[in-house]
Amino acid sequence: MILDLHTHSIKSDDGRAKVQNYCQWIRAREIPIDGFVLTEHRQYDATSDYSSLASEFGLCILKGSEVETEYGHVLVFGVTDALLATFDFSDIRLPLQRVVEACAAHGAIPVPCHPGRKRVGMQAHVGEFGVPEGVRIVEIYNGGSRAREDEIAQTMADDLGYLGIGGSDAHIVSHIGRCATRFPATISNTPELVEALRAEDFEALTFKT
Amino acid sequence: MDIEALKEEFLNKDFDEQSFDVDADDIVNFALACGEIAPRYTDPSHPDFQAPPTFASSFHAGRRMPEGFPKIPGLGMDGGKASSLKHPIRPGVRLVGRTHLHDIYTKTGRSGPMTFLVMRMEIYDPDGVQLATADTSVVIRERPGK
Amino acid sequence: MTINRISDVEFGEELPVFTPDTSLDNVRRFATAAGWAGPRFTDHEAARAEGLPGALVPGIMSQGFLAAMIHRWAPEAQIKNVDTVFRAPVIVDQPYTISGVVTDIDEEAGNVEIDLTVNNEAGETRVFGTATVRISNPSS
Repeated sequence: MILDLHTHSIKSDDGRAKVQNYCQWIRAREIPIDGFVLTEHRQYDATSDYSSLASEFGLCILKGSEVETEYGHVLVFGVTDALLATFDFSDIRLPLQRVVEACAAHGAIPVPCHPGRKRVGMQAHVGEFGVPEGVRIVEIYNGGSRAREDEIAQTMADDLGYLGIGGSDAHIVSHIGRCATRFPATISNTPELVEALRAEDFEALTFKT
Repeated sequence: MDIEALKEEFLNKDFDEQSFDVDADDIVNFALACGEIAPRYTDPSHPDFQAPPTFASSFHAGRRMPEGFPKIPGLGMDGGKASSLKHPIRPGVRLVGRTHLHDIYTKTGRSGPMTFLVMRMEIYDPDGVQLATADTSVVIRERPGK
Repeated sequence: MTINRISDVEFGEELPVFTPDTSLDNVRRFATAAGWAGPRFTDHEAARAEGLPGALVPGIMSQGFLAAMIHRWAPEAQIKNVDTVFRAPVIVDQPYTISGVVTDIDEEAGNVEIDLTVNNEAGETRVFGTATVRISNPSS
């Protein structure tokens, strides 16, 4: 099963894609993914219900978040009410350690994203703050990466022994599925996604040309 | 900086009103420079001559910020524009633009911490008919080393 | 193909790529017409003195390029809104490509949604956005 683990909809300040249009696009253009995770910036969208769209288009649509820390941006999979109560998702200066510890305590998975990117990527901060504890997975393919940013991410992952995922970081419809992650098992809900990530059996994919 | 307090005090209150006279030559030069080839934007003798749909984004408010709004240090840049057109803008009509602060938020990007101020100008004709809305996202980037 | 009616529009259709004129002369012409003739847009040295990589193509000019691409594809299209995010500077005298792709069609309302991008030579997206465009059928 292939999921795009990093997408934004109009719920994000700079997102310009409606979720329905993502679904139409995936099916009409035969984008080789089976679903996607909406990781809206600095928030968790607890209210939107995409289950009918998921059924209509035969796609897995899940929700996570993208928060901001001193090590850059971090995807969070497995957000629960209890996790939401532990830190302010809208804070742009969250301590990564706090996010990592909160995720560990509440069964969620933190994944630093676009780690090769200037300032908002983890690699730019490892020299200053050291290698953070508790990170097991980073995003090594990001659809919005500029020159060499993915290479930097992969090198960092190799050097530090991290596993890699892929996500498009789509903000407009036509960018969905540029990068994704393949899992051996079928995933149909967030606990299954968390379980699959925890099993550490997945492969980052890029479809960028 | 307390963003919520700033929102409470400043959002959705008109802080500027400005008049604009639209000139046919400026429309033509604007359109041609952008690569427009449709005669209704490039030929003043065309019966439907009008400004290109994004022309409204070029109007400047007289005041950049509401009175009393705190100065945010950093390099200000244009972070985005949104233009909505309800009716065409044509030359020879005095327009009025009323501006308010529509949103404020912070985030971090490739250039570091940033504050976004979204200004919304609503543009009216002399009869009070709204022709267009133009949003500008001003992004203020903290200078490196801050 | 030039589009004259919404029934001619296909989902996923890519608009003909448009190469905009980002020369300093053209940007000066635009900036003067738009009332944006500041040195940041019209003078490379002045822009560099501000810490910028060179003179900038004004964001509203990028927005104008995107609108022009739509009209080149569908000359009678009425652009209802254009919403653009400026991700990175677009620099004067450098080459860019302007692209668009149809992401939704509502034939009943006559509306088409288009994804818009301005990419540099490396294929990096500098500006992205969306437009909602009304394209009627001639009989409607």
